[in-house]
Amino acid sequence: MAFDFSTDFDPAHPDLTDDTWTQNEIFLQAFNSGDGTLFDSLYRQDAISNFSGRPLTGADRLAFFKEFLAAKPALKAEVTHSYVAGDVALVGVKYSIDTTGENGEPVHLEGVCTDVLRRGADGRWLMAIDRPVAATGLVAEQSAS
Amino acid sequence: MSQLLEDLKIHNAQYVEAFNAGDFEALDAFYTDEAVAVWEPGQPLTGQARRDYQREFLASSPKISTETRQAFVTGDTALLIVDWVIDTVDEDGEPERLTGTGVDVLRRGEDGVWRYAVDDPYGQE
Repeated sequence: MAFDFSTDFDPAHPDLTDDTWTQNEIFLQAFNSGDGTLFDSLYRQDAISNFSGRPLTGADRLAFFKEFLAAKPALKAEVTHSYVAGDVALVGVKYSIDTTGENGEPVHLEGVCTDVLRRGADGRWLMAIDRPVAATGLVAEQSAS
Repeated sequence: MSQLLEDLKIHNAQYVEAFNAGDFEALDAFYTDEAVAVWEPGQPLTGQARRDYQREFLASSPKISTETRQAFVTGDTALLIVDWVIDTVDEDGEPERLTGTGVDVLRRGEDGVWRYAVDDPYGQE
């Protein structure tokens, strides 16, 4: 598969770095690619994602990302604060997502998200925990049922 | 996983005990060397500045109580969302109650002890 991204990153060995601008760029590009497998590669194996409205890890997390991104939701995000403490970082993000609902209707979601990133033994920074701060999570319609 | 959550509960109980005893050294042991604390919103403190702030804050014998709302634990890294109340005194010596919802990142050391890496007591606001 070919990638044509404006910010260089190796899809086989992504590194979110400890730089907030780079983190956001790579995160947005992977998310907006619609490729759930690529997006999941930004997460550590045992990372916890709350995008679905409940904590998912491992294969469950990957399966959710594949399904969620298949509809090609468009994510916009900006970093509001970032604290790096050695090999771990806490990052605050303000986001909005435009996607389509079950009946093809436009759906707009927004909120703030808290992300925890970790630098691994190989020096690469990856997602360890994400936690969108919205009552319903990122998939309001589905998780409400 | 449940053992990790249990360890975190113990960590929190010991932290509260050290805080309420005004024991700075014991409290400081619950922070990593690189820890970032954001006790004043938007003003992260590290190293000696963090320690000086905390030592001074404890000098007026504040009392804290906490309630953990959410805990996400992945191996040696945890994110806690914590409601807290601190009873202290203001600059004029009058009783003052501070409250907030903190967003805390903890790291488990090789010795098995959980320590604050990021202490952001107003992080949820």
